[in-house]
Amino acid sequence: MSQATALTRRDASAADAVEAEAGAKQYLTFTLNAQLFAVGILNIKEIIEYHQLTEIPLMPAFIHGVINLRGAVVPVIDLSARFGAKPTAIGRRTCIVIVEMHHRVDGADIQQDIGILVDSVNEVLEIPADEIEPAPAFGATIRADFIFGMGKVAGRFVIILDLDRVLSIDEMGQIAALSHDEKG
Amino acid sequence: MDELLSVFVTESHEQLAALEAALLQLETAPDDVDTLNAIFRAAHTIKGGAGVIECGYIVSFTHVVENVLDQLRNGDIRLGTDLVAVLLACSDHIGLLLGELEAGHATPADLLLADGDALLARLQGNGLGLDASPVHSAVPVDVLESLGGETAEPDCWHISLRFEPHVLRNGMDPLSFLRYLATLGTIVHMETLADAMPSADAMDAEACYLGFEIRFASCADKAAIEGVFDFVRDDCTLHILPPHSRLADYIDLIQALPEDVMRLGEILVRVGAITQAELDDGLLAQQTPAADGVPATTIPLGEILQQQQVVRPELVEAAVAKQGQVHDKKAAEARLIRIQADKLDRLIDLVGELVIASSSVGLLASRTGRSELLEAASLMTRLVESTRDSALQLRMVQVGDTFSRFNRIVRDVSKELGKDIELVIAGGETELDKSVVEKIGDPLIHLVRNAIDHGIESTAQRIAVGKPARGRLELNAFHDSGSIVLEVSDDGGGLNRDKIVAKAVERSLIQSGQNLSEAEIDNLIFEPGFSTADQVSNLSGRGVGMDVVKRNIQSLRGRVDVSSSPGAGTRFSIRLPLTMAIIDGFLVGAGRVSYVIPLDMVVECLELPPQTTDNHYLNLRGEVLPFIRLRELFDLPGQRPLRENVVVVRAGSQKAGIVVDQLQGEFQTVIKPLGQLFRSLRGIGGSTILGSGEVALILDVPSLIQQIIQQEACSVASQFQISTP
Repeated sequence: MSQATALTRRDASAADAVEAEAGAKQYLTFTLNAQLFAVGILNIKEIIEYHQLTEIPLMPAFIHGVINLRGAVVPVIDLSARFGAKPTAIGRRTCIVIVEMHHRVDGADIQQDIGILVDSVNEVLEIPADEIEPAPAFGATIRADFIFGMGKVAGRFVIILDLDRVLSIDEMGQIAALSHDEKG
Repeated sequence: MDELLSVFVTESHEQLAALEAALLQLETAPDDVDTLNAIFRAAHTIKGGAGVIECGYIVSFTHVVENVLDQLRNGDIRLGTDLVAVLLACSDHIGLLLGELEAGHATPADLLLADGDALLARLQGNGLGLDASPVHSAVPVDVLESLGGETAEPDCWHISLRFEPHVLRNGMDPLSFLRYLATLGTIVHMETLADAMPSADAMDAEACYLGFEIRFASCADKAAIEGVFDFVRDDCTLHILPPHSRLADYIDLIQALPEDVMRLGEILVRVGAITQAELDDGLLAQQTPAADGVPATTIPLGEILQQQQVVRPELVEAAVAKQGQVHDKKAAEARLIRIQADKLDRLIDLVGELVIASSSVGLLASRTGRSELLEAASLMTRLVESTRDSALQLRMVQVGDTFSRFNRIVRDVSKELGKDIELVIAGGETELDKSVVEKIGDPLIHLVRNAIDHGIESTAQRIAVGKPARGRLELNAFHDSGSIVLEVSDDGGGLNRDKIVAKAVERSLIQSGQNLSEAEIDNLIFEPGFSTADQVSNLSGRGVGMDVVKRNIQSLRGRVDVSSSPGAGTRFSIRLPLTMAIIDGFLVGAGRVSYVIPLDMVVECLELPPQTTDNHYLNLRGEVLPFIRLRELFDLPGQRPLRENVVVVRAGSQKAGIVVDQLQGEFQTVIKPLGQLFRSLRGIGGSTILGSGEVALILDVPSLIQQIIQQEACSVASQFQISTP
């Protein structure tokens, strides 16, 4: 699985090089606030329909709550709120994409599943490495370091997300602590 | 092989722990034979195990240690504090060697070997002129014949061995026993007796006619030497005389053996067991009283028989005792099964899932309203509850094992600081979840070291203020309302509050002139970067400690408090949840979410009386009970219902009320951690899954009570109400 995380990393590690040679990688595309996003498919465990979740008090808006995923309690992140926009309005096609993240705590590699809330999922695409442009320094609607690259699909740009950054447990935990302090 | 090795390592660590504990005990009661035997047994078991897995370096090191222990047991040397210190160091060294073995190193690192040699040198330098030659350098069998000229050693065993004629036919080779004997020590001299050998034509080539008289230098005990001949016990006549046996014993031996008395005497003289003069005196003395009554010729025979009779019961007794030991050990092993911890964790996880599934079945059954189904579901729920309790019990261990480690720490640290400190342990039988026990060790060590270093004054100081010269450190464990409390208390000088305040101001943790209660001042020591020791010793005082202790304990969902009275001592109490896995909970609702309050902390429930004021306390049968609304605390959206309920909770000595929308009843709660993302969350200790599949949040009652009390203090201090802490 470490390979899976390595793939989404920006630095040109060996795994990236191998992948680049192999040519195309598969991405899941989804829409959020009428914008098209993509994430590498290797991290994705499953996609489930939105159902009522349990809100956690005193958390920033982007931490939507927790759900029961076959006995495991999985936090759900509201991506729209995480990108600084308004919280996602729950609709008929709203889905939760479960991704597997790795992070290090006290030197130990910890695996954690995280759900991300999206307006709708579209399809799985193959995007060749040479069709991926580097992230623009500015101009995108979201933080530049959240963007892994811009994929060209049928003449449109798809924002390929760097999930390690977007779903950084450390960063989100710190923001949660700050908002907790403010409220507390 | 790997499994064997890991079992050896685990068991040896246990033996080492026992050895260490016994050594410490021995230091206070040096004449306790049982303790000494326990130490010897532990060392011997480790050596034996190491032999089985063919780990030479552990065998050779332990062998020397065992030799010294044996001498102690025989009373050849006296036990002093120095010797205990060296033996403790040796036990540590064996631990390190075990680590090497575990890491899969064929030979330990050079540095470690050098340490080992230094330790052995210290052992031998302890004025114990002992034969410290490690096992592997024992004299090989083929040089035996040439050893005759060697000067007699002071502590030589004498072994008389007569093999029965049929021993070869039974598949035993006498020579292999002698070779094996040589691994226990040195065969100083050996005489072969071929007296029983018939003339050539009557000789049966398959019969053994030989006997041996052996002078044997070894530190092994009699049982060990006897053990060598275990396999031929029935096929030989064996007499073992310990070192420094009385002359009379030798004479008795001579009488007991079938060969001619004079010939045997000569042999013994040749072997070096006795001198010629001694032999003559002895035989003469033996015959003189015999001449009085019965004819002299019959007495030796009678004595032979008597001797045989005397020897036999002893051997039988020893054999019975040995068999009994083996039997006991087997029975004890049957009562204990080693299980890998992760298998156990898996079981507990599964039981957790089962609890959730069964509550879901119960919920569905009650919806159908069919009585048979309800009955079956409730029976299942009850069984699942028992299963859960038994499964959790599997993980509970007594805290005493953790506590007994402190004997050593207190001893070492107080020696180092030149203080005289007595450790008193209470409540060692209190049970605690294994995962908690493993993690609580380090914080406890820190508190204990701190108490010795900073808490308890030096002996001179103590005498000056009229306290007993000997400091007292107490470790205590007990259960209290669903938690376990571990206390570390000392009878030292207490916390110096002026110094703490000065330091806190210096480190700008507080403003000078700020008014703090005594408890608040005491708790400042848990702030990061805080240390009041004037001098930094190598034990404590670097200011990285108490905050780490606090953090470690908090990560176990526990908390630590300090109370201190100047001049009389300091007490740290650590409050921990009993288990990390499953608890009995009380389900309540507030807003759209359900919350679980650990049932052990719930005292009672009542409806919130209509409020005339906006105060956050109510009259509970004449008692003032501060309370908090979960809605307000957690900033929940929506309107307060018309009727609210109060759950009265208690943690330690503090009581408070939690106001919720609905009471939903008891619920078996499988604790699911919320994870790193929610680590900053105060007041919520985890989550659980309800029968409906929804997630409920578990309230962290002690921290809530803390918030309620703070809020109360705030509301008194300021005019306006603060709804959140």
